[in-house]
Amino acid sequence: MTGQALLWGTLYALPIFVRSDFLLTIFIFTFIYGILAVTFDLIFGFTGQLTMFHPAVFGVSAYMTHLLAVHSGLPFWAATLPSAAAAVVLAVVVGSICFKFRLKTFYFAVVTLAFAEMIRLGVMNWNSVTNGTLGLVVAGKPTIYWPGSGVVPIKGPIAWYYLTLVCLSVTALLCGLVLRSWMGRCFAAIRLNEDLARTLGVNVYRYKLLSFAIGNALASFAGGLYGYYTGYIDPGYLGINQSMEVLAMVLLGGQGTLTGPIVGSLVLTGLPHAIDLRAELRAVLYGAILIFTILVMPRGIVGTLNAWRSRRVS
Amino acid sequence: MTQLVLGQILNGAIIGAMYGIIALGITLTFGITGIVNFALGEFMMIGAYATYALAERGLPYPVAVVPACLIAAAAGYLSNKAFFRFTRNNLVNGLLVSIGLISIFESAAMLLWTATPVEMHFVLPGALRVGDIGLPKMKLVVFAVIVAVIVATYLGLARTWLGRAAFAYAQNPEAAMLMGVHTPRLETAVMLYSTGLAGLGGALYASLYSLEPAMGGVYVIKGMEAAILGGIGSLMGSLWGGVILGVIEGVGSIFLPTAFRDAYGLAVLVAILLFRPAGLFGDE
Repeated sequence: MTGQALLWGTLYALPIFVRSDFLLTIFIFTFIYGILAVTFDLIFGFTGQLTMFHPAVFGVSAYMTHLLAVHSGLPFWAATLPSAAAAVVLAVVVGSICFKFRLKTFYFAVVTLAFAEMIRLGVMNWNSVTNGTLGLVVAGKPTIYWPGSGVVPIKGPIAWYYLTLVCLSVTALLCGLVLRSWMGRCFAAIRLNEDLARTLGVNVYRYKLLSFAIGNALASFAGGLYGYYTGYIDPGYLGINQSMEVLAMVLLGGQGTLTGPIVGSLVLTGLPHAIDLRAELRAVLYGAILIFTILVMPRGIVGTLNAWRSRRVS
Repeated sequence: MTQLVLGQILNGAIIGAMYGIIALGITLTFGITGIVNFALGEFMMIGAYATYALAERGLPYPVAVVPACLIAAAAGYLSNKAFFRFTRNNLVNGLLVSIGLISIFESAAMLLWTATPVEMHFVLPGALRVGDIGLPKMKLVVFAVIVAVIVATYLGLARTWLGRAAFAYAQNPEAAMLMGVHTPRLETAVMLYSTGLAGLGGALYASLYSLEPAMGGVYVIKGMEAAILGGIGSLMGSLWGGVILGVIEGVGSIFLPTAFRDAYGLAVLVAILLFRPAGLFGDE
């Protein structure tokens, strides 16, 4: 608990000490990917379902938020809600197919991957709306109501830093609340032993679907934010690489924890950029960080720290 | 029309056999040693570029294939010794190490050969004519080699002492060790064989198509799909899974928009998995 408080406190206080735009940018990317990683961990680390569907939701909501904002004049925040609803619909359709037929582990991963790929191909070839592989330029900015100056657009690194940090905190808080409730217990029961959970009266199908829908709905906000922050959307958002990246963040930070994915996201977005290298060598460094961290700490950074702390206490 | 369809079936079967050889490696390593080697596509890429580099230096193609396979196997041996053996029976960590290796190998290839695709000279030009259908000779050779390798692997594992030892190891490593199976050596052998096979797949690939550093990533996903379609642990299933995927992609893109080529294989994969959740040849 103190660890969590320390982490969030540091993150909220950081811009007071750090003025470098470069560092703040890294943190902004960390927070957006952190939203994806935390929600991925809800489905993977806490419910035990290796989903590959996250990029689809991420990309679709990035496109949808932008297109709704442009074509129907909705403000950013109003446009994220239909996107989240779309994410829920997609998740329920895909999830109910997978869970109805009791697909597990790799089989579940491959079927969700297949659906994500089909959605990616659909987005890529729907030229009239998505502009195909060329992508779309996002010119708008999210706005907030600020006391004293009315509705102001979010501009500059510090404003973006706090916006994404708040979004990440809300996501982590919501995930934490879900996990603390009866739902979290059912998720854990399913993760530990699905057949046993079923015999004990847990509606396995319903809770898997619930976890999948909540995770994807929250992940959709990351898509909207990412598109608006980078100012550019292309079908690469929906690629398989995104799945791998998010999976790497969660495993590196520690699956089955809420802070782990955020730490993993920080390490994997931050470290390769903190060291100044050309692109190819940076990819080598990324791979090396991944391999050595997981070999030294097989349970991830936060998982290993927790185990170390509980051993010291006892 | 027949020419077109038959041509696409052959093309699909060859591409599918390539998926199959990767699928075989994935199934073998996972089924026997419990290690997930998701980086097999990279060993294929190594094999392909090694063949290309050796052939450019004047070695004839059939001679260049052998060292290329050995180079891929050596890379596999090193990655096993350094990384993979620590991820035994830990699926997700194996996946993570693989993601790391993919990143490393891909960027190494990009440093050595840049991202521009390279192409080998024709190895075996000409085509065999059956009626009014032309079948390129090299494609037939490649297909025959891959099928022969997969069948030989199947027979080798089904009929020999080594195969029985491997199955025993897959079922219970400690019991196998007590029965006199040298388990670390067996694990190394499986890793060498699967990465060497991937290297062979790459060497054959190099004779037909142009190479780029990112090719491994595509093929390992397809190989994974093929392995799962056939059923994890089934050797012949990996060949059939690959060929089915390849042919559906090839034939599908004649009658339906080509842009969605990858989707046809995936749609069939999903449909099959829904009715046979453990794959076509897998045990329930």
